[in-house]
Amino acid sequence: MKLDKVIAERKNKTIYRDGDVVIKVFNENYSKADILNEALNLARVEETGLNVPKIQEVGMVDGKWCIVTDFIDGKTLAQASLDNPSMEEEYLKLFVEVQLKIHNQRCALLTKLKDKMTRKISLSGLDATTRYELSERLNGMPKHIKLCHGDYIPTNVILNKDGVPYILDWSHATQGNASADAARTYLQFSLKGKEELAEQYLSLFCDMSDTPKQYVQQWMPIVAASQMAKNKPEEKEFLTRWASVCQYE
Amino acid sequence: MRKQTAVPAIVDSVEALEAKIAQVRAAQEKFATYTQEQVDAIFKAAATAANTQRVPLAKMAVEETGMGIAEDKVIKNHYAAEYIYNAYKNTKTVGVIERDDSQGIKKVAEPIGLVAAVIPTTNPTSTAIFKTLLALKTRNGIIISPHPRAKGCTIAAAKIVLEAAVKAGAPEGIIGWIDVPSLELTNTIMKEADIILATGGPGMVKSAYSSGKPALGVGAGNTPAIIDETADILVAVNSIIHSKTFDNGMICASEQSVIVDSKIYDKVKAEFKYRGCHILTKKELDMVRKTIIINGALNAKIVGQKASKIAELCGFDVPPETKILIGEVDSVELSEPFAHEKLSPVLAMYKSKNFEDAVQKAEHLIADGGYGHTASLYINQVTETEKMADYFERMKTCRILINTPSSQGGIGDLYNFKLAPSLTLGCGSWGGNSVSENVGVKHLLNIKTVAERRENMLWFRAPEKVYFKKGCLPVALDELGSVMGKKKAFVVTDSFLFNNGYTKPITDKLDEMGIAYATFSDVAPDPTLECAIAGTKVANSFQPDVIIAVGGGSAMDAAKIMWVMYEHPEADFMDMAMRFVDIRKRIYSFPKMGEKAYFVAVPTSAGTGSEVTPFAVITDEKTGIKYPLADYELLPNMAIVDADLMMNAPKGLTSASGIDSLTHALEAYVAMLATPFTDGLAVEAGKLIFKYLPSCYENGANDPKAREEQAHASTLAGMAFANAFLGVCHSMAHKLGAFHHIPHGIANALLIEEVIRFNCAEVPTKMGTFSQYAYPNTKAKYAAYADAMGFGGKNEDEKVENLIKEVAKLKEKIGIKRTIAEYGVEEQVFLDSLDAMVEQAFDDQCTGANPRYPLMSEIKEMYLKAYYGK
Repeated sequence: MKLDKVIAERKNKTIYRDGDVVIKVFNENYSKADILNEALNLARVEETGLNVPKIQEVGMVDGKWCIVTDFIDGKTLAQASLDNPSMEEEYLKLFVEVQLKIHNQRCALLTKLKDKMTRKISLSGLDATTRYELSERLNGMPKHIKLCHGDYIPTNVILNKDGVPYILDWSHATQGNASADAARTYLQFSLKGKEELAEQYLSLFCDMSDTPKQYVQQWMPIVAASQMAKNKPEEKEFLTRWASVCQYE
Repeated sequence: MRKQTAVPAIVDSVEALEAKIAQVRAAQEKFATYTQEQVDAIFKAAATAANTQRVPLAKMAVEETGMGIAEDKVIKNHYAAEYIYNAYKNTKTVGVIERDDSQGIKKVAEPIGLVAAVIPTTNPTSTAIFKTLLALKTRNGIIISPHPRAKGCTIAAAKIVLEAAVKAGAPEGIIGWIDVPSLELTNTIMKEADIILATGGPGMVKSAYSSGKPALGVGAGNTPAIIDETADILVAVNSIIHSKTFDNGMICASEQSVIVDSKIYDKVKAEFKYRGCHILTKKELDMVRKTIIINGALNAKIVGQKASKIAELCGFDVPPETKILIGEVDSVELSEPFAHEKLSPVLAMYKSKNFEDAVQKAEHLIADGGYGHTASLYINQVTETEKMADYFERMKTCRILINTPSSQGGIGDLYNFKLAPSLTLGCGSWGGNSVSENVGVKHLLNIKTVAERRENMLWFRAPEKVYFKKGCLPVALDELGSVMGKKKAFVVTDSFLFNNGYTKPITDKLDEMGIAYATFSDVAPDPTLECAIAGTKVANSFQPDVIIAVGGGSAMDAAKIMWVMYEHPEADFMDMAMRFVDIRKRIYSFPKMGEKAYFVAVPTSAGTGSEVTPFAVITDEKTGIKYPLADYELLPNMAIVDADLMMNAPKGLTSASGIDSLTHALEAYVAMLATPFTDGLAVEAGKLIFKYLPSCYENGANDPKAREEQAHASTLAGMAFANAFLGVCHSMAHKLGAFHHIPHGIANALLIEEVIRFNCAEVPTKMGTFSQYAYPNTKAKYAAYADAMGFGGKNEDEKVENLIKEVAKLKEKIGIKRTIAEYGVEEQVFLDSLDAMVEQAFDDQCTGANPRYPLMSEIKEMYLKAYYGK
């Protein structure tokens, strides 16, 4: 394995390419359990038959954990949209189609979305009353078992040379309510200031999945609170506003 | 022994809560033994205490939650104490609360046990008072789960009620609460309680319903108020302002939108402005939209705030005394923030083209988020009753308020004094609730119904006139002309009787009286629909005012059917023939008969009794289906029993119809509906039949006395079974006749001995179900019958055996063979038809009155014995 071609660098990890494989190398302080869990998630999702980069190896290089997967040669949907703005609408549609395909899968051993959200709400830093109301809201939500990506954004979908979409980064995958997954995507767009795109996405998702919009919206305060667990100061005001809504009484 | 756990000072963990639950349950067990007087004293003391603390509690609530208006919360507290006390002070909630001795019904109230009460932030003290008072009045224990934002004042309210209750004699610890609320504790109490009074958001209500315990939950409201063009604008606008500003719009029944007819829109708008409401400019409208709703959900910051504070949050200023912020909007879709529930003095205003448009908008707004809650209409209620009817039919809400401020109106007893006062408003299945009315004490009680055994009312019904005696025919017929003034008679008979002059004495008499007549003489045995239709055609063109049926069962049945079709051409035979368990409870209600024609039945054979029965059978010749009709509407109006018409009956007919009349008497005598009224008739019929039938058979016209007595016997037996009904012998005979063309009377004769043996079992597999039929006693009844006939016997068994022997002897005397086989039914043919016969006999209308409820296998066995003779 040659670690000389960096294709991306993140806060806690560096991603290299070596021929047909991609090596994701985690920093020393990264939680071992999180790394192995990410690998396990990926392995589980592989079994559903979705197009994902297959896992080749989990190991150590230079005393750091790494995950080795197939290299998918192509462009992310985000990049493709940038390169070809006239196709933007088509790409967004493809983006939703692929997400619906994910939601059609079942992956019985993954973490439950509701458990994860419960945990994140308690880590959100919101006041006790708001947390109580959000937990109550979450508690009342329908419990499903659909495969949810958890960080489904256009940079996580790659079109290979033949135009076949592959889905990357399964570290946040859970099983649960697909509307929560959609709410999360909507939030990601909104956090980046792409409000118009967020609205377009939501309308398209609701249309194509035949879901009432308010049903997805009910998840917004919950996903906002879960995002707050990441504790990013620049997002705090925005997210607090989203989370501070009232249950009808 | 109940485990004694130390009661914790504060409830902040599952363990502490479990201990609290144990304490409240122990207290409730004691409380459950209290009398109505004790309970009422406690209820009064608790209501009084809550009432005196209404002001401090209101102030506390506003201080703690930062929402609402203290002065309005005073009203709510006052209401929760005084109105609830007043509404239920005289309500019985202990022991027997209702009784009806003649019907043998008592209702006994029992507490449910432990109530879990979830209290919202919007009404934190009044709801606590309301729910604890209801619990006290119903002898329940209650544990309150307050909202974290309002726990201080909610607990204070509960404490005041508890202390006053205990002082007045309630068990210590009858009311409990969670001091440090969390989702986990709320879920725990909901799982452990016996019933949940959940007021809260949809999440809370869903949790309540999914806890597996019965729950009374209420949901979101989105009350639209329509102002019709006929409304009193002053009343409408000021009622809405009064309601919408109450506690800063936090009552869930409060108006969320107003839909104003375009013809009065400007006037309404001017009145809103004049009374201190602020109509938002276009720019302000968008600012408010962005602020009040975030991703389709209500911004918590605006709930229960003043209009000026909300304006400030949105980024503009209005005078501090502004009552309501009104947004003029068009869309009723959820994409319009103003179409949502706002729980604040923010109101949407729509312009409607007309009433229909307004109702459609209201329907949509209710579907948006107020299913089942409340709807409101301002209208001229004197002139616009049609619009109101249309409105209340279409609103899918459990409260529909007319010319009433909805906040104060919905909770009841303020603007209408029959609407129960309550702070928990059921929203029905539309709102996912188990109740659709205002919740009150009855929802916290288990009502036990004590039902004592009662017997059915019975009856005796017969034709209004039964004329009998040899030679009575012309005398009886005279009444048709001289008394009733009939003009046109329709005579129904069969061709044999017609051709042999049996109808001549009748038509002669009609001629004499100047009554015109038409005759239909084509009735064949087992009359068909085709025949009845043909007869009805004649009747329709002739338009008789009296129908005279002359003949045996077939002619009388056919004439009854023609009577029905003549009077009620619309009636359907399938419906009329529908089986019933109790003739009084039948699903089909038989058409009223006798409006066009009077019905006279003149039997020419002594057996069927059809002249006095409410029965008729007709066969659909196309499908072969028999329609047995039974209803007292089919009872002839007049029966004329004249033995002169029977003198020359052939031997076969005499024996078949004669033995038929005996089976009528025997089955009616032991039927579950038998009464002393029918027993007397059945006994008298039996005596005459045993005595005279053999001579009728042997001597025919040569023994006119025997003919006459047998004629009377047949009518007596007919009246007995017209009221007591028959049994399984007739069920089986109907099918044996239908499948194997054995005359009806003979079929009964072949089965009756087996049926007597079957019915007299002291340990039947199953007995019949009828209140009067208390235990299997048919053997004793047969024995009594044998006694009445004078057949002798030392004990019941012997008497029954003698009865069977005498029946067999009679059959032999009148030439009836012993077995089905002897009547020429081939064994294989019989066996092939057996299962179908069994099932149909089981389902025959006659089976229901039999004292022993037969299994199909038992019917089969009787058929086989009757076939082979052993």
